[in-house]
Amino acid sequence: MTAYLIRRIWQMVPTLIGVVLLVFLLFKQFGGDPAEILGGLNATPEQVQQIREQLGLNEPWWVQLGIFAKQIVTFDWGRSWATNESVANLFATRLPATLTVMTPILLLDALLAIPFALLVAYLRGSLTDRTIMIATTVALSVSFLVYVIVGQYVFAFRLGWFPVQGWSDSLLTNLAVFVPLPVMLAVMVGIAPQTRLYRTFFLDEIGQDYVRTARAKGLTEPRILLTHVMRNATIPILTNLAVALPGIFVGSFLIEVFFSIPGLGREVLLAVNRSDYPVIQAVTIYLAVITMVVNLATDVLYKLVDPRVVLR
Amino acid sequence: MLLSVENLRVAFRMGRENGQVRRVEAVGRGGVGIGFEVPENTTVALVGESGSGKSVTAMSIINLLPDNAERTGTITFEGRDLIHASGSELRRLRGRAIACVFQEPMTSLNPVFTVGRQITEPLVQHLKLSSRQALQKAEDLLNEVGLPEPKRRLAAYPHELSGGQQQRVMIAMALACEPRLLIADEPTTALDVTVQRQILELLARLKERHRMSMLFISHDLGVVGEIADHVVVMRQGLVREQGPVAGIFANPQDAYTKALLACRPTLGQRRPRLMVIDDHLAGTARADLTVVKDPAAPIVVEAHAVSKSFWIRRGVFGRTEFKAVKGASFSLRKGHTLGVVGESGSGKTTLGLALLRLHDPNGGPTGGRALFDGRDLLKLSSREMLPIRRRIQVVFQNPYASLNPRFTVAQTLVEPMTIHGVGRDGDDRLARATALLGRVGLDGSALNKYPHEFSGGQRQRIAIARCLTLDPEVLVLDEAVSALDVSVQAQVLNLLKDLQDELGLAYIFISHDLAVVRFMADEVLVMKDGAVVEQASTEDILDRPQQEYTRRLIGAIPRGYTGAAAAPT
Amino acid sequence: MSAVLTADGGATGAKAPRSESTWLGAWRRFRSNRVGLWALIVLAGFGLLVALSALGWVAGDWQTEKGVANAPPTFMGPAQPQVASAAAAASGPLLDLSSVDPLAPRYREWTERAAKLETTEPHKVDTLPFGGDRLGRDVLAKAIKGAQISILVGVLAALVATLIGTVLGALAGFFGGKIGDALEWLYNVFTAIPSILLIFAFAAVAGRGVQSVVLILGLTGWTGIYRLIRAEFIKHAVRDYVRAAEAIGASAGARIFRHILPNVSHVMLVQLSILVVGFIKAEVILSYLGLGVSVDQVSWGTMLSEAQSELILGYWWQLVAATTFMAVFVTAFSLVTDAMRDALDPKLRGLE
Repeated sequence: MTAYLIRRIWQMVPTLIGVVLLVFLLFKQFGGDPAEILGGLNATPEQVQQIREQLGLNEPWWVQLGIFAKQIVTFDWGRSWATNESVANLFATRLPATLTVMTPILLLDALLAIPFALLVAYLRGSLTDRTIMIATTVALSVSFLVYVIVGQYVFAFRLGWFPVQGWSDSLLTNLAVFVPLPVMLAVMVGIAPQTRLYRTFFLDEIGQDYVRTARAKGLTEPRILLTHVMRNATIPILTNLAVALPGIFVGSFLIEVFFSIPGLGREVLLAVNRSDYPVIQAVTIYLAVITMVVNLATDVLYKLVDPRVVLR
Repeated sequence: MLLSVENLRVAFRMGRENGQVRRVEAVGRGGVGIGFEVPENTTVALVGESGSGKSVTAMSIINLLPDNAERTGTITFEGRDLIHASGSELRRLRGRAIACVFQEPMTSLNPVFTVGRQITEPLVQHLKLSSRQALQKAEDLLNEVGLPEPKRRLAAYPHELSGGQQQRVMIAMALACEPRLLIADEPTTALDVTVQRQILELLARLKERHRMSMLFISHDLGVVGEIADHVVVMRQGLVREQGPVAGIFANPQDAYTKALLACRPTLGQRRPRLMVIDDHLAGTARADLTVVKDPAAPIVVEAHAVSKSFWIRRGVFGRTEFKAVKGASFSLRKGHTLGVVGESGSGKTTLGLALLRLHDPNGGPTGGRALFDGRDLLKLSSREMLPIRRRIQVVFQNPYASLNPRFTVAQTLVEPMTIHGVGRDGDDRLARATALLGRVGLDGSALNKYPHEFSGGQRQRIAIARCLTLDPEVLVLDEAVSALDVSVQAQVLNLLKDLQDELGLAYIFISHDLAVVRFMADEVLVMKDGAVVEQASTEDILDRPQQEYTRRLIGAIPRGYTGAAAAPT
Repeated sequence: MSAVLTADGGATGAKAPRSESTWLGAWRRFRSNRVGLWALIVLAGFGLLVALSALGWVAGDWQTEKGVANAPPTFMGPAQPQVASAAAAASGPLLDLSSVDPLAPRYREWTERAAKLETTEPHKVDTLPFGGDRLGRDVLAKAIKGAQISILVGVLAALVATLIGTVLGALAGFFGGKIGDALEWLYNVFTAIPSILLIFAFAAVAGRGVQSVVLILGLTGWTGIYRLIRAEFIKHAVRDYVRAAEAIGASAGARIFRHILPNVSHVMLVQLSILVVGFIKAEVILSYLGLGVSVDQVSWGTMLSEAQSELILGYWWQLVAATTFMAVFVTAFSLVTDAMRDALDPKLRGLE
């Protein structure tokens, strides 16, 4: 196991270097001139030059790359160009809000989709199954935006059950008052694709030989589904969740924008609109590291779920 | 009578076409169903080739068929009607009174549950044992089926066991609740010959001890002859003949049964050609042209200590070498056939592919020398290999995978000619292709068809024709007939022999089936775990085997019914 | 010589008399799927609409402000004119502004002069077929134009992503080794960053416009197809027909493109369709956020962003129009994809 971990961590290094290179090149080659952006519209040429000196933009590119790399390693991500807030502080303050909203969404999506998908797999081929499939297809064809717009309008504006927007400093108030509506809307939308996906997983397993053996032993269909099939299907379900996990950090930026939740997703969006490069770069690299760590953790977790896995 | 089947018909709904529901009949044809009986304490064998409906028949007894299957007729088990039984009635019988053993133990066992858990499941479900009692019984069962260290194995997962061990687990699971009928669907087909022998003996022992009946499905007459009391011969969904095993083997009445028995290659004396079902059914006899092989024919391929290894990753950064072939030497003469025999993992296929340089060059080192026309095959660069490829060709095992499904037959045959510049232009090449198709026994109209429109045997012929487009000198046949039905196998083997006599081809014939090798080969290499165990002429190997392993291999081959009356061998 | 065909197996049985390539067979199966067929007809209708719109024959004038602001749909009738309630009369002496306004003496002269001039003000209709937005632009025209833009972006981006993913996946799957490792590294780099973030990063530097969106989505969305095609190539590269091709001397390029690629093209096609839907939805969100198409273009996304503020004022028609067009198209496309996948499924064909 230790050998496996060491090798995996060793393999992460080139990927990390690649990400750093990608981000660096992307913004260097195609981004606007940072000095001009920082200087603002009214800066004089001398001021712009001064800023360039400060940022070290006149150095050859490999030196700039070196500076960039050093920043990452020392966790110094600089300051936002727009608000001059330190990026580290930005993370610390925005991340909790994102997690408060996204964790319930992720959990509820998975927890609700599994029984739904099991039910649909059990009823496969029947009219109910086909109706649900067509209903989910139609439901998925409507943009997420529409659901949130209409949802916000109906539940908050018209019926007044929830506040339209807002956030507070207390975790409890947030969970009780501000989180329910966005979570409800996001789960409603997320259930459809998750159910379809999990249904595919279940159906794949139902077609396997070991299910025929289980039937030959005289087990009932529900028991076969809940023990034999379920256990095997958790493998792809786990993969799916693991892949989705890093995504929750950026959060559903749309939800955060609509409901004015001060989360990381909204922050990134603001940064994009303002060409606030340090924020975007830092978030990108930070999340790349998280993704790689989560992948490693998932692979190790596999061993618990799938006995065939040999970690070499 | 334990089980009685009358007028059984099974059809599968295959969607709609032009508004009508399309049905494919699997068992029974045109309103006529099948019928047979399984008495107490008897083994009844359902024998047939692919498409005969034998597996579907077995699965339909306790309705393990897919959702789109429709059964009609009567199936009576201990006086109960199984066709109209309710779901819960059937479930009470399954695993308890009637149990099953399937063909592929690896996929038939749940990969994420331990062996112990899977065996105790029916015990807890049907016999209501506590988990401790069930585990104890499971251990006893594993012991009975001959699994060493049964207690330890209870906690093992299926993938940690070998194929033979997995099949023993499946048998233990089936026996758990003392069934009165055991349905075994090709239980040994996926196993090596020596393991097959062990499992067959185990099944026979268990059947005696538990006094149960067995419904044994197989395509292999040799196995059936050894294990069955009654035989039911099926072809294309209908029963052709049934009766006690002695009668079937000694005195078959139906033409198809006679043909099936006659066209098996046997270990007995060697014949120049095999009987073929059609010839047999038509009553025509073939003129056996025995061509005598020239013992001093020029040597075409000379191999010295050929070895092939693969890299396996170990530790953090290291790797170890896995020796798949440990050193094989032989001399192949023009017009002769070298047989390479072994079980799975023996390295026989690796040897063939190594000679053809079809392995990934970075996969592992190759050692030794293989001289062809004065040059070492193993050391040539891929560019130098190109002209050689014309002269050494290969036919693979799986007829369903060796032809590109998206190419027409014409495209498949013309491609090699285009690459090597055979033929003047497109028309010339098509003409050659048509001629070759005729030579392998196919019509010119096959040119515009796609592979999926042909049967397995026909596809192998197309594959052979593809090799012949280049006028090769050596043909490597890697289990080329192993995936074919017995009757088709006979035709393809006869074709290969004819081509060898006509064109002076040299064959390297790789197979696990000694009887087929007896028919085809002049000299035989016996391989085990990558090493050549014994090497001699065919007669010497089969009549006077020197090595223990060779003797075991020959002894493990099912011989069919060896009762009083002699079978037509 | 060996015996005649009919004895072989028993499987020949009832086969189709004419020889069928995979595509013809798939088309035949697709045709028998009623739902898929109708969906295809709907798609064809949209295709026609897109073509006409691209040529400018339809909805070319979407930017003209034909109607009054927020004109309701025709079936609803014109909006009631707002009657301003009279303000309460002010108390106190009435002041005449002209006593302090220096320009006051000139007013009468100007009014007379203005009356002589003619202004051609285009007549603003009271209702439009699907209603009008806050500038009075025809919502139907916008929806059609938006369809053109959104669909075009989705399809082009999907083509770009499929091209990149397929070529890279083929090379990685077929060759493995160093090439495979290098491409795996590239794949890891791109998937280490959550896709939304990657899109944002690209959007930050690329700016707005149709071209940008196509590039952004195409360059970030190839990873899924890469994985699939690579897996397919790995599977096929060890299949006997490819080995046989190598045995007869076919070059690596021939094996990749002539042999294997046609056998995975059905996977490619299904993935392409899935990507189209995904990219259309992504473009809508990008445009909504102001990161997608440029200011002077319309897409379903821009319509939705306008609709949000209109909804509060009670004007629902732009929301419904954009949503309906998009829903119909995406549903039809999804149904066609499902039917296509069923028609192309090798398991159903009994081939593999």
